[in-house]
Amino acid sequence: MKYVDEFRDPALGEVLAGEILGLVEPGRHYKFMEVCGGHTHSIYKYGIDDLLPANVELVHGPGCPVCVIPMGRVDDGISLAHQPDVIFTCFGDMLRVPGSAGTLLDAKAEGADIRMVYSPLDALRIAKANPERPVIFFAIGFETTAPSTALTLKRAKAEGVANFFCMCNHVTIVPPLRALLDSPDLRLDGFIGPGHVSTVVGVRPFEFIPTEYGKPIAVAGFEPLDVLHAIHMILTQIKEGRCEVENQYARVVPYDGNPRALQVMSEVFELRPHFEWRGMGFISQSGLKLSEAYADMDAEIQYGVPGIRVADPKACQCGEVLKGVIKPWECKVFGSGCTPERPIGTCMVSSEGACAAYYNYGRFAREREVV
Amino acid sequence: MTRLIANAASALAPTTCDYTTGCITCGDVAIPLTILRLDDDRGLALCADDDGNSETVETDLVAPVAPGDRLLVHAGTAIARLTEEAPG
Repeated sequence: MKYVDEFRDPALGEVLAGEILGLVEPGRHYKFMEVCGGHTHSIYKYGIDDLLPANVELVHGPGCPVCVIPMGRVDDGISLAHQPDVIFTCFGDMLRVPGSAGTLLDAKAEGADIRMVYSPLDALRIAKANPERPVIFFAIGFETTAPSTALTLKRAKAEGVANFFCMCNHVTIVPPLRALLDSPDLRLDGFIGPGHVSTVVGVRPFEFIPTEYGKPIAVAGFEPLDVLHAIHMILTQIKEGRCEVENQYARVVPYDGNPRALQVMSEVFELRPHFEWRGMGFISQSGLKLSEAYADMDAEIQYGVPGIRVADPKACQCGEVLKGVIKPWECKVFGSGCTPERPIGTCMVSSEGACAAYYNYGRFAREREVV
Repeated sequence: MTRLIANAASALAPTTCDYTTGCITCGDVAIPLTILRLDDDRGLALCADDDGNSETVETDLVAPVAPGDRLLVHAGTAIARLTEEAPG
């Protein structure tokens, strides 16, 4: 496929892998975190970790918005879906995330009108087609997705669509990274930065990682050569004694992001004082809610939600997986009690979740290793 | 050399959200689409991927646009414009 094949060229991949081998110091262990769930998916799908020297370890970060949603928020969504006449809309992966008493898919089976949408614009279209019924959009995602929600809310307001509401679960990328870097049980040598989030926020917000924490970071695209190139860039920085933010994905990511997207987000959203992340607890100023100007479209205000905090299941170790402290297969229930068909933890639900990605692509290689 | 977007999700039809192949929204995935025609009054564009799958896209963040332009689209919204030159 045009503009894709160039970044999947096996011969170039071998060259890069060879150069990476020349950049690592024997006897030193390198631990890099790929922040974004999309990278986790690429790494397993293309077997990128098999191309790396044994002393280069990739750990998976908190960059899948589905994986970080706490059970209490799922319960809140289900309670909204059960409100009379409501049409509840959300992205596909959310349907299967377990709350304390089932998933949105279970609620749909019980009779709630829950519909999967591909974009907020689809949800608005449903609202316009059903003017007599309230339509709630369950908004989720990092800064890549938040502008899309913001633009749709602006559009709904401008077009006078009075039956469109939003339950906002958007999160921001920098606070959890800071929380990770402050975490005493995690030792990292560098970061592969999120590509499409950076299309919106730019590369600048990640400058604190080298300046305050002394770790190199390369913002990367999602093709196998993008990820290998980013690892190459980070290792080169380490070898040359540099520590900075580099932009591997410069073909798409401007240094300052998309100013229009940032402006629209600041009009429609404001920061929550704190937001709960699965396995990471409450992180200050890490979540977005609708601003006062859009309070009339805020489903949480208009309908009210239980807002009850639910502890993660005891057996589930998603928190440690999300922080990169353990690998998916080190979780007690991985592949036994917790599978993509019957997930216990969120990391097994979304295909971008580290556990699901590993279950689908990586476990066979490991089984061979173990045997 | 022309340097344009490449993304693992390009092979996915933009109207699917299948957990077995990857959720477009949750995976921070964006796909390259080409503008077929514009609805200037509403700030929307009908776009298609290389396989001819089409969808309506919000273009506010990358305006002004014209038919034939290549856009990087996430969750129905164009988040970047794809050009021959690398940005930044």
